[in-house]
Amino acid sequence: MIRPNNLIVALDAAPANRPFITYWVDEDERETVTFAEFLSRARRQASVLRENGVSAGERVVIIMPQGISAMTTFVGAMMLGAVPAFLAYPNFKVEPSKYRFGLAGVTANLRAKAVVIDDEFPDEMLGHVALGEEAKLLRVGAGREAGGETAFEPGEIAPENLAFIQHSAGTTGLQKGVALTHGAVLRQIEHLRGVLKINDSTDSIYNWLPLYHDMGLIACFMLPMVCHLPVVMQSPLDWVMQPESTLQIFTECKCTLAWMPNFAFQFVPRRTPQNRWAQYNLSSVRALINCSEPVRASSMQEFHEAFAAIGLKNSALQSSYAMAENVFAVTQSEVDGPSGPAVVWADGQEFRGAHRIVPVPERTAGTVSFTSSGRLLPGQLVRIASNSGAALDDGFVGEILVSGDCLFEGYYNRPDLTQKAIIDGCYYTGDLGFCLNGELFVVGRKKDLLIIGGENIYPQDIEEIVGSHPAIHDGRVIAMGVYNPNLGTEEIIAVAEVEHEEDLAKSREIEGEIRSSVTSGLGVAVRTIFLKPPKWIVKSTAGKPARSTTREKLLREHPELNAEN
Amino acid sequence: MTPEAQQMVQYIVEMIRKPGVTVEENTPLVSSGLIDSMALVDLLTKLEDLTHLRIPAGKVQPKDMDTVAKMFATAQRVGKPRK
Repeated sequence: MIRPNNLIVALDAAPANRPFITYWVDEDERETVTFAEFLSRARRQASVLRENGVSAGERVVIIMPQGISAMTTFVGAMMLGAVPAFLAYPNFKVEPSKYRFGLAGVTANLRAKAVVIDDEFPDEMLGHVALGEEAKLLRVGAGREAGGETAFEPGEIAPENLAFIQHSAGTTGLQKGVALTHGAVLRQIEHLRGVLKINDSTDSIYNWLPLYHDMGLIACFMLPMVCHLPVVMQSPLDWVMQPESTLQIFTECKCTLAWMPNFAFQFVPRRTPQNRWAQYNLSSVRALINCSEPVRASSMQEFHEAFAAIGLKNSALQSSYAMAENVFAVTQSEVDGPSGPAVVWADGQEFRGAHRIVPVPERTAGTVSFTSSGRLLPGQLVRIASNSGAALDDGFVGEILVSGDCLFEGYYNRPDLTQKAIIDGCYYTGDLGFCLNGELFVVGRKKDLLIIGGENIYPQDIEEIVGSHPAIHDGRVIAMGVYNPNLGTEEIIAVAEVEHEEDLAKSREIEGEIRSSVTSGLGVAVRTIFLKPPKWIVKSTAGKPARSTTREKLLREHPELNAEN
Repeated sequence: MTPEAQQMVQYIVEMIRKPGVTVEENTPLVSSGLIDSMALVDLLTKLEDLTHLRIPAGKVQPKDMDTVAKMFATAQRVGKPRK
């Protein structure tokens, strides 16, 4: 196959009559477009954009609900050589004030030529779309795509031209726009095609992830667009309201590949009534890839144990380490092998005290476990660095630095942030991890790490123990470090929601039980456990506890903790 | 209120666990913040159980689930017989 030099050329080469996007509403309602139909609709979108003065190199912000029109608009902009960016569509889950704040910041930074919205876009949000002097607000509904073929000749696009801007995940509204070239995206897809062993006549993708995040945009839109694979696409909101549809879509559409964040591996089995599991069949799944940092073995196991009986293969659950700044994946575990990703057990004290992995037999007392994110994709390089920047050997935990042929050009319009993130050609990910046996293990976020009396404590480990107490609402726990100037070190604070408000009467007793299980499990003491009524913890747009916002709320309510300020 | 609607009210009261909060057939739930989006999954499942219908999420907007009365109206509108 000839290597295309831009994404549009790659799409143009697709077999015209092959189905590309199927937008799933429910079992009786879905819309499918072939590659030819998709191209024709994208050309019409390109014409509309051009008529409105958009030309090569200019940014086009797309704020549309997940669906075919959003995708054709994105490709239409790329056809002009313009640089599209998807932004999150407002929904009832996002607080309007927060959404407005995020949108205003991002649109101003992009200095877009056009902001494309759909006909349903809420008017009260419009005032917060920061339009520059030259930017136009366009309502490009599906209606604009109807009609005959438009004469449209895409311009010349070189591999080093910017293809699009994808925004790094963030809940604060200060998302950073990651600028990516056609060349970098195509190289990433070439590597993915190889490691995922993609067969373009038998593979197909299922996606409910939003297109404004890398898993949705790269793995589930750009990859199938270049490799000419069918995709079954669902709205993230529909998925959240009915996670059972994951099982239904795999069963009916026989998709072979999908990507999910860690929490979804628990969410699907827990929110699908068990008496309905047997209606479904997951034997088509070749790889269901957990793209979180860190990947939790317990979540993967829960999914596997739930659905092994309905055909889920041993090797189907896989892992990857991915980020917008590297287009997408840095590593990928071995698909179609005999099993899922490797799990390593290590001495807990060595890990926390010496930041070193000393493998021990499985599940002995005081051990910790890590799930591999797999091996490096071709052309990628990972270094593990100590705090002083020295390179660490295999088995030592440090910050993960990434370099290679997919790395981003920088944060759009933010040379200040770019300079901090890319040093000597290496991207400082802010993630902690280690290499062992040629594989990468991701341990957690560096900024979340608690350093307690010289020991490294990962908040997730404390949260897992606190959340296992029967009075605590599972998953509604946040552990954090608060500096104690008297002791000269951080101390662990945990805040947790009780399952029932009445349990608060027994706070002292519950606290005592939690405290002793954390101490016996991790060998560290928790200074204070704050028990709160249901729904107290602040959640992110993805419905997960939001660490920093919850921390701020706790410090506000308990000013006695504010000694650090 | 039908017995099914009453069961739904009871279910919601137990779910929100706020002492002193009463839920009527027309009490706003989502727009008032009594119920969050993750809880809509459970409500949709409960609604399917109570109505013996299959309710595709793709046809349901959160505003369609804002009150108990609207939930049952939504079920009638978009629900399908179970296979």
